[in-house]
Formats: sequence, C-alpha cells, structure tokens
Amino acid sequence: MEWFDALVQGVLLGGMYAQYALGMALMFGVMRIVNISHGDLVILLSLIGISIATAWGLGPLPVLIVLVPLAVLMGWVLQKAVLNRVVGSDPLPSLIATFGLSIALQNLMLQIWSANSRSLPGHGIESQSIEIGGIYVGLLPLIVLAVATGLTWGLDLALKRTRLGRALRAASADVEAAAMTGINPRAVYAMATAAAVGILGFAAVFQALRSTVAPADGPAQLIYAFEAVIIGGMGTVWGAFAGSMVLGISQAIGFRIDPGFGVLAGHIVFLIVLATRPQGLFGKALS
Amino acid sequence: MSAIPYTATEVPEVLVQRQTRSGRIAMTLAVLAMIGVAAMPWWASTGTIRSVLVLCCYIAVAQMWNLLAGYAGLVSVGQHAFMGAAGYALFVLAQTYGINPFVAVFLSLLVPAALAVPIYLLLHRLDGPYFSIGTWVVAEVFRLTASNLPLVNSGAGMSLRVMKDYSAFERNVAMSLLCAGMLLVTLGGSYWLLRSRFGLALIAMRDNPVAAASQGVNVVKLRFLIYVASAVGCGLAGAIYFMAQLRITPGSAFDPMWANVAIFIVMVGGIGSIEGVLIGSLIFFIADRWFGEYGATYFVVLGLMTLLVALYARTGIWGLISKRWDAPWFPIRRKLVDPNR
Repeated sequence: MEWFDALVQGVLLGGMYAQYALGMALMFGVMRIVNISHGDLVILLSLIGISIATAWGLGPLPVLIVLVPLAVLMGWVLQKAVLNRVVGSDPLPSLIATFGLSIALQNLMLQIWSANSRSLPGHGIESQSIEIGGIYVGLLPLIVLAVATGLTWGLDLALKRTRLGRALRAASADVEAAAMTGINPRAVYAMATAAAVGILGFAAVFQALRSTVAPADGPAQLIYAFEAVIIGGMGTVWGAFAGSMVLGISQAIGFRIDPGFGVLAGHIVFLIVLATRPQGLFGKALS
Repeated sequence: MSAIPYTATEVPEVLVQRQTRSGRIAMTLAVLAMIGVAAMPWWASTGTIRSVLVLCCYIAVAQMWNLLAGYAGLVSVGQHAFMGAAGYALFVLAQTYGINPFVAVFLSLLVPAALAVPIYLLLHRLDGPYFSIGTWVVAEVFRLTASNLPLVNSGAGMSLRVMKDYSAFERNVAMSLLCAGMLLVTLGGSYWLLRSRFGLALIAMRDNPVAAASQGVNVVKLRFLIYVASAVGCGLAGAIYFMAQLRITPGSAFDPMWANVAIFIVMVGGIGSIEGVLIGSLIFFIADRWFGEYGATYFVVLGLMTLLVALYARTGIWGLISKRWDAPWFPIRRKLVDPNR
C-alpha cells in the first residue's frame, strides 16, 4: 500500500514535470535549441504571479489568466530578440546566449525578490484532498495532472491538425524545404517559443501553489524537464509526458527509500535509460 | 578506362615558417611569467600567492573548456564535476589514507580520468545541446552522491588537517610549483597539441567536423580523447584549488560557478584561441576583485555580457584584435616562405 501510494504520488508529481517538459520538447523538436533559461523563466513567471496576487488580492485562477498571455509574450520576445539570431546547426551560440540569460535572470530576480522562498496563496485549494480507493489524494496535484494531460493532448492535436502545426512540423523536418513552400521559418519559430513559454505560464502558477519558489530554483526545473524529455524519447509530446511520469515515479519511490535519495533516484533512472535505451523509452530507434 | 598519366611536378624549394616575431616575444614573456610564478615564495606574500593561485585555476579551467567547446565542439556546462571529484580524491587520499598530500595531488587525477571514460560513452549519445545539459546532470549526480557518501563525510565535508605538518613557507613553495606546473600542462600542453599533427586535425574538426572526417580525421576518437584530457586538466585545477582552500564540501566542490567562469572567460576573451583565454582570465580576475562586492548586480552584468558576445561578437576580444593586427602570441599556423624571393 505504501508503494502504491508512492506510485500515485509519483504520477501526480509527473504532472508537474510534464508542464516543464512539453515546452522543451517543442523547442528542441522545431529548432534543435535548448533554452538554458527554461527553468528560470518558470521561476520569473511564478514570482511575477505571486507579486500580482498580493498586490491586487487575486486568487489562483485570475493569476493564471494574467500570467499565460504574459508568458506567451515573453516567449515571442525571447525568440525575436535572442533566439532567432543564434538558431542554426552549431549548438554553441544558442547555448551560450541562453546560459548568459539564465545567469542574468537569476541574479535579477535575486535583486528584485531577494533570496526568500515564496508561494502563491491558494485560498484553501492546496490543502483539500479526496479519497480514492483507500488513499487520500490532494486536489491540487490532481488538477495539475489533469491540466498537464489537457495541455499535452491539445499540443499534440494542434501539431497534427492545424495550419500552424503543419508549418511547425514542416520547419522541424527540413527548414529549407519548408521555406520554399512559403513558410517563414522565423515566424514559425516565434510561434513555437511563444507556445513553449506560454505552457510555462501554467507551470509557474502550479509550481507556486503546490510548493515554494526562490530565485535560485530555476536550474533544477531545467534539469527535470530535460530528464523527462530524454527518458520519454525525443520528438513526441506524448513521449515527454510519459517521461515526466517515469521521472516523477522514480523520484517519489526514491524519497520513500530515503529523503536524501529522491532527486538522485531520478538522475539514476535517467542515466540507466541513457545507457540502455538512448532513444528513450517511447522513442523510435534510429536504424 | 586507362590510368591518367602522372607527371611528377617539380616541388618548389620553400621553407615552412612556424614562428613569428610576436610569437617569440610572447613565448619569452610566458616563460618569464612561469618562472615568476614558480618563484613566488621568494618575492610574494601569502595573500598574493593565493590570488595568483586562483587566477591560475581560472586560466586552467577556461583553457580546458576552450579545448572542449572551441575545438572538439563539445559544449560542457558540467566540468566542475571533475574539479570536485579530484578535490575529494585528494582529501580522501591525504586525510583518510595518510598519503603525502603533494603526491596525492597527482594520484587524485586518476579519479577524473577514470570517471570521464564511462561518462563520455554515456553522454555522447545525446545530441548537441542535450549533451550540455547531460554534463550538468552528471555534476549534480556527483554532488548528491558526495552528500550521501560516508567515505567523504557526507554533507558535512572534509578538512585537510594534514597540511599543518608543513610550515607556511613549505606550503607556499608547493603551491607555487603546482601553479607553474598546472600552467605548463594546461596552456603549454594545449599549445604543443595545437602545433602538432593533432592540432591540424583539431582545427579541421573545429571548422567542419564532417569535412574533417572525410579527410581522414578520426573525429569520434579525437573528441573522446579531448574530453578525457579536459577532465584531467579540470581535475588538476580542482585538486590544487581545494588543497589551498583546506576544506571541501559537496556544495563548494561541485559549484556551477566554475561553469560560469569558464564560459565567461572563453566567450569574452575569444573562443578557439589561447590568447583569448589569457585575456578573458585577466578581465574576469580584475572584474571579480573590483566589482565582486556588488554581488547580484555584478552577475547580471556578467550574464548580459555573455549573452551579447554570443549574439554580436562570437569571436570575442581576441577575434576583434586579430582582425586588426596580425600578431599572434601563440602562432599555430604553417606559413610557406620562398627563400629565393
């Protein structure tokens, strides 16, 4: 029963990680870029959300409604001002640019919000729980998981069915051929990053609700998103979702074994997957 | 199909020029500087020696990162894993097993070398940018392992108490010699490597790995060797740095600050050149002493400078200088000179 409980908690934790991982999978799939400031953007959005909530006395839902459009705008600006200049076959410029941005953002947040941990007041939602089959499950983690599933489903559908999704897939398969058919790669890239950071707007609200955030927390979120993407298998949004579940379960079981072992257990599962199935658990093997 | 007749063309008599006047001046200055560092106990205070030691560690770590990112195309953000590993190995060998610490410095280099092999075999499966985050995960794994390992006193860290058996002067002599040796191995070794046959292969690989492979360069093997060499170089810097600190904890040993330092120095100074590393190290060393007190604001500026260099001036300061004046300090080109003209 104790292990079943860990499993359930792991799946719920995975819902949180999926919200980080989707954006990373999308950006890498389309541009072959990893944004090192990915986690720092979550923390920045969380802190902005907390400040808005305390200044205007807003509940979690209005904060979400303000934050997601702001996140979309931030993603668009990030692509236009920085990433469009460094996208290309050489990974160095984009890594260095976003690495510098990450250092600057972390320390800027430290200046504005100090090193204290803060959280978003949830007006009781964070402490409610419901009983399912003999174990108590928090209402908030269930909502997080439901939103993560909805975002994954929506993103997958948008990529498969919409015009923009087709343009994204075309640009990811062969950017020059896509450009020849009339697709503007830079506009498509801006949309991809706007969507990726927009999803982080959801992640920011839930992260601040379910635990605390501090300016130095960003890199850990980046690493969890990365591990989820690699464990699941690069290239598909459902792969990133499944990888998040595996990472969440590994960490939850690790925490049960020893509280100092939880995060390390996630890293070890990541390394085992890399050693035995480098294409990811749900990825297709390259022939 | 008949074979195309090959007529032997007359090879003109030329000389291969490999050293320049600027290079000879710089080499003389570099040798003098190295002797100056080795002779520090006789002219510098203990405080100065510590400062120079930190500067030497910056240079060594930055050059190791430069070798990886600037030539092998491997962008690592986790080289501090090997600094911490060698630092811990030194403390365990010297403090726990009682081996002479100045011997243990060299023995401790076996640890990053042995760790780098399986780590590279795992991480090279990751594509470009994912490789970088992978190196970061490895550094985190090392930090968390050290925090849970009773052999290294878990999260509480270790102290190098055996150093009190040596007088302050003896320690200063050892530190100065180790610093000079570290510069000789990391900078001198890189220069020697770049001037050798491998240097040609490395530069070909930097410019275009696919084209280099088609010319017979074993890119896979060369990348692996560079990764291991860089791990050992970072390990040497780590062992020397923590020997001077006399104390090591998981947080200080595996501090991502070193990745920031290496990336800032190399990108601002100029990637793919030894001159750039020297310029960048001096700038960072001076900036750290002058502006370090501003804390977070200083790091915001540092981060933005790294971002701007990546966006607008990818060759860094040395790239701008060498575009204007053709006077390399460490020339690696082969120039053909016709003696009859």
